[in-house]
Amino acid sequence: MKKITIYEPAMCCPTGLCGVSVDPELLRISTVSNNLKKKGIEIERHNLTNSPMKFMTNKTVNKMINEKGVDELPFTLVDEEVAIVGRYPTNQEIADFLNISVDSFDEEPTTDK
Amino acid sequence: MTKDFNPQNINLTKYMFYTGKGGVGKTSTACATAVTLADSGKKVLLISTDPASNLQDVFNTELNNKGVSIKEVPNLVVANLDPVQAATEYRETVIGPYRGKLPDAVLNNMEEQLSGSCTVEIAAFNEFSKFITDEEIQTKYDNIIFDTAPTGHTLRMLQLPSAWDNFISENTHGASCLGQLSGLESQKEVYKKAVATLADGALTTLVLVSRPETAPLTEAERASVELADIGVKNQMLIINGVMTSHDDKISESLFQKQQKALSDMPEKLKPIDTYLVPLRGYNVTGVENIRSLLIKDNLTVSDEIIKAHSIPGLKDVIEDLHNSNKKVIFAMGKGGVGKTTIAAAIALGLSEKGKKVHLTTTDPAAHLKYVIAETEGISMSHIDEQAELKKYQEEVLSKARETMSDDDLAYVEEDLRSPCTQEIAVFRAFAEIVEKAENEVVVIDTAPTGHTLLLLESTQSYNQEIERSKGDIPESAKKLLPRLHNADETEVIIVTLPEATPVYEAMRLEEDLRRAGINNKWWIINSSLYQTGTTNQMLSAKASNEIEWMNKVDAHANGNFAVIPWNPDEIKGESLKALLD
Repeated sequence: MKKITIYEPAMCCPTGLCGVSVDPELLRISTVSNNLKKKGIEIERHNLTNSPMKFMTNKTVNKMINEKGVDELPFTLVDEEVAIVGRYPTNQEIADFLNISVDSFDEEPTTDK
Repeated sequence: MTKDFNPQNINLTKYMFYTGKGGVGKTSTACATAVTLADSGKKVLLISTDPASNLQDVFNTELNNKGVSIKEVPNLVVANLDPVQAATEYRETVIGPYRGKLPDAVLNNMEEQLSGSCTVEIAAFNEFSKFITDEEIQTKYDNIIFDTAPTGHTLRMLQLPSAWDNFISENTHGASCLGQLSGLESQKEVYKKAVATLADGALTTLVLVSRPETAPLTEAERASVELADIGVKNQMLIINGVMTSHDDKISESLFQKQQKALSDMPEKLKPIDTYLVPLRGYNVTGVENIRSLLIKDNLTVSDEIIKAHSIPGLKDVIEDLHNSNKKVIFAMGKGGVGKTTIAAAIALGLSEKGKKVHLTTTDPAAHLKYVIAETEGISMSHIDEQAELKKYQEEVLSKARETMSDDDLAYVEEDLRSPCTQEIAVFRAFAEIVEKAENEVVVIDTAPTGHTLLLLESTQSYNQEIERSKGDIPESAKKLLPRLHNADETEVIIVTLPEATPVYEAMRLEEDLRRAGINNKWWIINSSLYQTGTTNQMLSAKASNEIEWMNKVDAHANGNFAVIPWNPDEIKGESLKALLD
């Protein structure tokens, strides 16, 4: 299975809820990645505040951030290849990257809480 | 059971937290305790956690957050925990290593994100827990005394170890905001230890400080109950500024008022060991006065004279606010200076001139409704942090419900329990209230200075976020900062007392406002004994010492200052009108 890594701008918490507004895109991507994680599929997310080192050590990302700055974040890499720049991948795109059905991570069986 | 307070005769624990309403003398009594213990040979560390600390005025020494030795008191080290400075240092530890390695635009983005009030709170809190848990500090000092910010802020600070400990334990999807902290697991140990130390009666005492007056005693009761709930059960009460005799009308009415407040002592304070500190004729600044606070009075009468030809009253201030058509009016200043009363009197005055007024408070410990009732011309509100948090959580969840399953919602709910979500909720409520200035005059009674500064600080940093945010931003939030920056609309009235500490603090506040680009013209000096004409020896000594501070404010405000005489009665309802004559 391919590996998806998303490099995001500086932010406080993964859902962005601590910010001044609720960004529905962040909510969606947080939910999707959470649901995939429960299936054992991990989307890696790195943001500038928590893991600036990742923006240094990944050569592709480092080059992009030096050339484009923060305005075009987030970057989505699939198996280290740049796939999407400037926005988060849609659910369909994520499903395609992973070669799974989009329904399989939309409908989540309830877990005991 | 009440006796005079003398730290040498009481068995004191290693950690002591002084808390209480603004203006009750937390700093004075904490300093006097620290100096007395240090003089008796104990090694003492005194720390202020008040964002608007005035320990540097008291000791007349430049302080930092690491601790500075006081030369007149060899065994004493004093530290000032400035949350903004702590946040700056914290930010540098995160960003510093990447300077020159990542582009400036990237570093700026990180810096902005790390400038929010979350970071300020985390950084301040981290330093605070370090002082409670650090073993080196623990072995080095016999007594560690905390002079804390007014009650609301302290409650939050002392409750945070449990709140964050719970949050980390329950959080399933990573660190959230706390991800900012490196080495989360080790932090968790620190929080655990902090909670244990606070709850250990052999190690920690909560010292509730009050004046012999109703409002601060009520607030002491509230703090006592809330902190007992989180395990801080070893408590004592110090009543500061007790009059022991009287010989003229003013001193008699003050004496009677105090005695009444003491005999009506709130039920839950009654079982707590209580100690008295007498009212003194001097201001508690300088090591000499701190030393004598618990021992003797020292009646020095000042021979300074008033420089102003005429002194305006509150009605002149209101006249000016009315004529210049101000829409957003803040009453700001140190705790205990009478902001609530003055805000209410201004609201009343403007309403009598035919304006529609909204009166509100951001003070977690406010009691507007005891001071003034809603009328046709005046509507009232109160920013209740808990209620605002709930409201914000509901709003986010209902938006999320449109697109998410219940299971996904649980995930969102988790982030909504993060301690910094509260900040954002309060900020939004504040913006909503200021938005009312579209249609009416908004008079805002603010929390004591430190809290207010953090609110304005967060307004600045949130505004930067707003500019580049992609989410839905309420109109009120977008308009907030531009409105506060508009001098034609917004005026901050600085309220102070004719004493050293409140005046120094007000001057620092004025500087902060200037830096934040917020207009201030008027200063109000409240509770002037000088204007009562008292003949009581101690009170007239106090009154004579006020002149120096009135002259300072006069010069500082270019004559735009009003003075309100000390009033023996509680000013509320009808008696507010007396302030307008």
